[in-house]
Amino acid sequence: MLARVANNLFWMGRYIERSEHLARFLSVNYFSSLDAPDELSQSRQFVLRSVMYMSANEIIDADITLEEEAVLFNVGLNQEKPYSILSTFINAHENARSSRDLISTELFECINRINHTIKAYPIEQFVKSGLYDFTTIVTQSTSEARSKIKSTLLHDEVYAIIMLGVNLERAIQVSRIINSKMSDVAASKELNGDSTEGSYQWSTLLKCVSTYDMMRRYYKKTPSRETTLEFIILNEKCPRSIKNCLSQIYKYICIISKNKEIANDSAAFLIGKMKAEFEYKLISDINDNLEEFIADLIEKLVLIAVKLEDNYFNITDTVAVAKEEEKAEVKVEEKKDTKKETQNQTQ
Amino acid sequence: MKKTKTLPLFSTYDLDSRFYDELFNKNEEIRSIYKTLFEIFGKYSVNEFDRLNKQAKDSFFNLGITFQVYGEKEVKEQIFPFDLFPRIINNKEWCTIEKGVLQRSKALNLFLWDLYHDQKIIKQGIVPIDLIKSSINFLPQMIGLDPPGGIYNHISGTDLIKHSDGNYYVLEDNIRCPSGVSYVVGNRNAVKHALFGVFNQYNTHTVVDYGARLLETIESVKPNGVDAPVCVIITPGVYNSAYYEHSFLAKQMGVVLVEGRDLFVENGFVYMRTIYGPEKVDVIYRRVDDLFIDPLVFKKDSLLGVPGLFSVYQKGNVTLVNAPGTGVADDKAVYTYMPEIIKYYLDEEPILSNVHTYHCSRKDELKYVIENIDKLVIKPVDESGGYGISIGNKLTKEEIEKVKKTILAEPRKYIAQPIMSLSTHPTYIDENESFESRHVDLRTFTLLGKDVDFVLKGGLTRVALKKGNLVVNSSQGGGSKDTWVLKK
Repeated sequence: MLARVANNLFWMGRYIERSEHLARFLSVNYFSSLDAPDELSQSRQFVLRSVMYMSANEIIDADITLEEEAVLFNVGLNQEKPYSILSTFINAHENARSSRDLISTELFECINRINHTIKAYPIEQFVKSGLYDFTTIVTQSTSEARSKIKSTLLHDEVYAIIMLGVNLERAIQVSRIINSKMSDVAASKELNGDSTEGSYQWSTLLKCVSTYDMMRRYYKKTPSRETTLEFIILNEKCPRSIKNCLSQIYKYICIISKNKEIANDSAAFLIGKMKAEFEYKLISDINDNLEEFIADLIEKLVLIAVKLEDNYFNITDTVAVAKEEEKAEVKVEEKKDTKKETQNQTQ
Repeated sequence: MKKTKTLPLFSTYDLDSRFYDELFNKNEEIRSIYKTLFEIFGKYSVNEFDRLNKQAKDSFFNLGITFQVYGEKEVKEQIFPFDLFPRIINNKEWCTIEKGVLQRSKALNLFLWDLYHDQKIIKQGIVPIDLIKSSINFLPQMIGLDPPGGIYNHISGTDLIKHSDGNYYVLEDNIRCPSGVSYVVGNRNAVKHALFGVFNQYNTHTVVDYGARLLETIESVKPNGVDAPVCVIITPGVYNSAYYEHSFLAKQMGVVLVEGRDLFVENGFVYMRTIYGPEKVDVIYRRVDDLFIDPLVFKKDSLLGVPGLFSVYQKGNVTLVNAPGTGVADDKAVYTYMPEIIKYYLDEEPILSNVHTYHCSRKDELKYVIENIDKLVIKPVDESGGYGISIGNKLTKEEIEKVKKTILAEPRKYIAQPIMSLSTHPTYIDENESFESRHVDLRTFTLLGKDVDFVLKGGLTRVALKKGNLVVNSSQGGGSKDTWVLKK
């Protein structure tokens, strides 16, 4: 498989997964806040801030009043914002397009159709009444895309690269959602004292990663901080837990690295090490310094992505290395130029 | 003009006696080959057909069988307009076409070999040296080079029209990077989905075997000493208007689709950068134009090519398909010598006729052209995609004067042909909710390999969607149709 195309497939997987998390987070937070038990959680400003923090990674100053329709537009359908669901899915589509020869017709058609649907969704309708409809379309379509990945591709390196992207992104998004909810909990605690330590924010968190029902089934009691975090970080049976994601990532990196000798600073090594650490981790080990733990987790996951790039996507031949470096400086321009050059080459 | 309003879907179908209509004969009777098809279409109500038509178009859109249109700010995705009414070619007619295009491709291949070796045809005065000397598509770098299997034009696209006399004429040969074959397969699938019942009534040749035959062809010209060649397609990238076709062909053949930046040259071989390091490449089906394939030899600022690629080709360590420099032979001025070229190399009479052509480079013919522009089509010799064409009877007086000036400034650059009457074919026109007659041509696809050849039984029927328009190129607002070649 071409290194460039591997990179495209990896990012296709990541962007598909990311679109789903963005859509679900937006929907769950918005709708659960409408009848939230405490005043703060019901506050529009509070919810919009939480959405902006998760989607755009932006902390909004306290003296700024956010406009609901503007926030919804930005995180949903604003193509100018790189973090919007629209931009995210367009990226997934672009990556699929440039690796079109490797993926199945069914998968490409599916991604292409979703792209058309999202692009054509009326903005006015979305910000006024279509929030639920739109986010549902996105979450359902992305899961359809994942099912096409699983059921129509050859389960070889191509598949492993995509799934590596999907699971790495899932681990990152779930970590970010935990991070974002913990900061909501902290804010609400500051305002209302310990009384809101109750289940509302934890239930929302579980719903944000669509594990609420299964968590109830597993523990058979109201979610608390400890059980919620244990479930979505350390329960291997939960398909969206960090631990499960790491197992998946490990499985796919093994397919890709083909049991070759693993260097100490490679992605494969890092993944194996993380997986081993999680194997014997208990919630009591992390409960006391959770913020730190999550921050460290996100950092490590991002590092894995960087290492993957070094190990598999940036393959350069010995001769071309020097030239590549030269080229890198003009890379931004290059894209534009090739665009012009490429358009006319047809007879 | 007579009206043929027998069925709701044909309420505005006009017949123009100047042209050969493929559906109706001169007495306004359905030609026998279309009888069954016409009856089936006759059963549809306008609404029903509209729905089928829309579904077919949506399927192209969803499958991403599209090209990009670049606007100021936004890139728009559009489908290549498609018409559901298939064009049918009977077996006898097809046999002539097939033999004819194969004959031309073979002759062109021998012509290219000669041009880049001894140039006997020029020395013997059959083709003038000027034709080659002044052609920008003649690549001196190719002189004396022996491409594997002796093949230059592995893939040829031949454009044919049916004139008012009912005979096929060749309009031009495309032997650089002819495109359109993916639409042949796409159109067939769309027609199958929409009109599945029809296929029981007609015994039609398949077109899905093109990918397999193409792979066989390009594998046959592998470099010496290679057992199982690694073949790739090189594309200018996702922004190219034919990118869909490149990815389609790669998928059909199961080969890797690369861009220039995926390849590099080391120690006299070409490699691609894979996730496990370099992998040698043996055959490259290139969809990048000659001048862009290697910045060290051709266009220095090309970002689409691979530095050093041509030197590997010279060493015989990689095969390029089609060979560089083929453009010199699909030049529109060379076209006019095709009957002589066929005779010279194959000692055969041309099976398919050429359209009579006037060379503006010849004094007497230039005089005729200048005096009769209104009766002629003026074409630049080295452009493709329908650019730069002037159709005499569509020009105003001022425009004619302008064209005269342009020709006189550079006579070698232009040829002229009588305005040919492209046949007409029923084409659904959305605004009028009816079929109307529109001009069509036919592009066939011919493969030449080492000891193998193949003509795709079918082809791309291109249709000029604007009423009365004779230019069918997609870049000029043309669409296409499925083309059925009957087995009997």
